[in-house]
Amino acid sequence: MKYKDYYEILGVARDASQEDIKKAYRKLARKFHPDVSKEPNAEERFKEVQEAYETLKGPEKRAAYDQLGRHRSGEEFRPPPGWERQFGEANLDDILDLSELFEHFGGGPFRRRGGRTGRSGAAFAMPGQDYEITAHLSLEDVYRGAEVALDVSAPELTPDGAVRRVPQTIRVRVPKGATDGQRLRVPGKGGPGIGGGPNGDLYLNIVLRPHPTFKVSGHDLYLELPVAPWEAVLGGEAEVPTLDGRLKVTVRAGSRAGQKLRLAGKGLPTPKGGHGDLYCVLQIVTPTALSEREKELYEELGRISNFNPRGHFG
Amino acid sequence: MNNDSLQFLDDETMVALEELLEVSGLMREELFELVEFGVLQPAESSGQRLFAARCIVQARRAARLRDDFGLNAPGMALALAYLERIEALEHRLRELECQLLRS
Repeated sequence: MKYKDYYEILGVARDASQEDIKKAYRKLARKFHPDVSKEPNAEERFKEVQEAYETLKGPEKRAAYDQLGRHRSGEEFRPPPGWERQFGEANLDDILDLSELFEHFGGGPFRRRGGRTGRSGAAFAMPGQDYEITAHLSLEDVYRGAEVALDVSAPELTPDGAVRRVPQTIRVRVPKGATDGQRLRVPGKGGPGIGGGPNGDLYLNIVLRPHPTFKVSGHDLYLELPVAPWEAVLGGEAEVPTLDGRLKVTVRAGSRAGQKLRLAGKGLPTPKGGHGDLYCVLQIVTPTALSEREKELYEELGRISNFNPRGHFG
Repeated sequence: MNNDSLQFLDDETMVALEELLEVSGLMREELFELVEFGVLQPAESSGQRLFAARCIVQARRAARLRDDFGLNAPGMALALAYLERIEALEHRLRELECQLLRS
């Protein structure tokens, strides 16, 4: 198994006091806890910090960890001879992850994280772990309700009672009506229950990837619609893309930048079977490469027009 | 793949109190304190027995804050209130950003 330097992860010296270790944990928890952190990879970093703290916070586990000796982070290693005898871990061959070495300390398997206080039942029955996964999807995935594959590392009980992690792919069909920030729960699709206990649940958090054309707000879509100055002044028709083909919209005469044209029902599907709307936001764009004639016409317009855009400045 | 049991954690779907307790890991007393603080709201006229499924997200978040930061119920309530305000602001921000024109 690979070595993880828990002292390094917490940023403390190997002879740090329990108090120092607790303080270091608290600072890092504030920094990386997924509920309060905006750091990239916060979830991963927090899991690391938590694993380190779980091992070092109590004298027993900490002593056992220290006895493993000091190695480079990520280096493959084995506990020194006699370690197994002293700390009572049965079959080291099945253990793939350093964190599992200490899971059996203090009696009983891994600390349940999030939910599912175990129901009483068979002595060794435990509910499976909940999985919380963020799925990054495209707008098209969510519009069509695509099937996505999620990679998880599932703990599994081997025949001789040890626990090991097995990579697994879960397939979930994203239901129509999901949008950015939507959270879903798929009961029973979490980690397998132990000893006959129920499976955990899968919690899915949907995050939409930015789209080149549309912006998303709830179930509504926003599209920037560029128009030429004469189109804004005189009005006209414009063709716009939607998620299911192109549509013609009418630009009213005397339109201003920032005005919104609402296309009802052309947004994302809602859970109840309807659709959000598509808003076209007018953007007036001016040509920069002008022919001589165009320049003349603009200059004449400027001369004969009474339009004063800054009249209100006084 | 059977997707029928998939649950939207939103304001439209409802869950029973017992299920909320089971999937969040909150103690009954903790949950009721959060209701008292107004951060978890039972559906009207359900006698505090039905909650919007969105409460599952908040209840799980509260239990995590309790476990990871050692918070008590008042602490959880305050944290949840702030987190909800932040989410509402981020939502409004995204809405406004959608209407910004490329300059």
